[in-house]
Amino acid sequence: MGAYMSEKKYTKDHEWVSIENEIATIGISNHAQESLGDIVFIELPSVGSSVKAKDEICVVESVKAASDIYAPIDGEIIEVNNNLENDAAIINQDAENEGWIFKMKISDSNQYSELMSEDEYKQFLEQ
Amino acid sequence: MPINYKTGIINEHKNVRNHSGIFDVSHMGQILIENNESYLHKLEKYIPLQLKKLIKNRSHYSFLLNKYGGVIDDLIISNIDIKDKSYLYIVYNASRKKEDEAIFISCAPNAEKIYEKNCLFAIQGPDSINVLKNIIDIPNNMNFFDILISKYDNNEIIVSRSGYTGEDGFELSIPNESAENLINLLLKNENTMLCGLGSRDSLRLEAGLSLYGHELNEKITPIEAGLSWALDKERLEDENLNGNEVLSDQLKNKLSNKKIGLICTSKSMLRDGMTLFDNNNNEIGKITSGCFSPNLNKSIAIGYIISEFNTDNPIFCEIRKKLELVKINNLPFVKKNYKKNGSIYE
Repeated sequence: MGAYMSEKKYTKDHEWVSIENEIATIGISNHAQESLGDIVFIELPSVGSSVKAKDEICVVESVKAASDIYAPIDGEIIEVNNNLENDAAIINQDAENEGWIFKMKISDSNQYSELMSEDEYKQFLEQ
Repeated sequence: MPINYKTGIINEHKNVRNHSGIFDVSHMGQILIENNESYLHKLEKYIPLQLKKLIKNRSHYSFLLNKYGGVIDDLIISNIDIKDKSYLYIVYNASRKKEDEAIFISCAPNAEKIYEKNCLFAIQGPDSINVLKNIIDIPNNMNFFDILISKYDNNEIIVSRSGYTGEDGFELSIPNESAENLINLLLKNENTMLCGLGSRDSLRLEAGLSLYGHELNEKITPIEAGLSWALDKERLEDENLNGNEVLSDQLKNKLSNKKIGLICTSKSMLRDGMTLFDNNNNEIGKITSGCFSPNLNKSIAIGYIISEFNTDNPIFCEIRKKLELVKINNLPFVKKNYKKNGSIYE
């Protein structure tokens, strides 16, 4: 990760969030990618939509099953990773960088600070 | 058996289609029933074959039927000799062990559940014969659904040329104590790999093969499931066969539902339980199995629709509250690649 990025945080739904200039970038964790297996399709969220934390906003389909992706915090979707439309397997190859899914303009940065740090997420996975 | 091993479902799937893959299906039921006239007569109440006439060293796809002609289970039944004694060897679904064994034991009290001491492995794919032939003696003229007794490690093993992927391949029933040794020997061939339940499902779906609990259940007859080819038509006249009248009627009359293959025109995945609609939003059917097809790079499914629906009209599948256009595709999705010589069984 570049030094310009904030600390990466994680949700209990296995998403990662990093923030730069009030813009959050969101994807699924490497752990989530591993447990989903081969990802074949992603239904991306609509740019411009306003969402609340915990809203189901898009779906990742692996060969095994469909999994909902939730908004980690309140905000507005401002960009989606269109590369995933043609090749959703990018998430399997690099879930926490090139496999980012969407970006949002966040409305409440307190929600971000309540998410888990990388160490806390690792402990959460071990539970 | 895990869903997949470390390289993932798609890789395992493609390895089976292009080379070979090994499935540990030891969870399945395997039973030996003495080839005795009284036992066979009792079993013929449930199994729509002439069991007394089964050819030695051949396997048959068949069913256990309830009194309405519904499928209690689908199974493979073979006539083999072990140590000079003649047996029916039956392989059946793990999920139906309780129901099936109640029937087997009621017909043949000394039936032997050999899955307690034998593992069952399937090696599937065009290279299976090359991986296997240096380790186990396979006659050149062995065809699809032939079965024989061979030797490994001084133990007798049951070898059949069969499987559940649409590819050529073999199933091996081998004593537990020799099983690990055999698997390790097979895996020394770098073109083969262990494969899990995920690729087993995507391979059988591409091959258009039915799965119990999805395309088959106690409320569906083999005819409704498009499997009438597996019924012995003479047995349908026999009152000793469960559901014989229902099945005879179904053969003569139009069915209310038919089994179809579907391909999704969008990238969304078709899944078990999704509902199918016509272009007036009338429900016309349901999907019973759906998955991503690695060979077609699209989502495929098997389902049932009402027979009166004109399949020239568009069909839609509801996926997460949206209607996606689906197209009918003849089964199988991927051509079967069996080694056979005049077999009556597909």
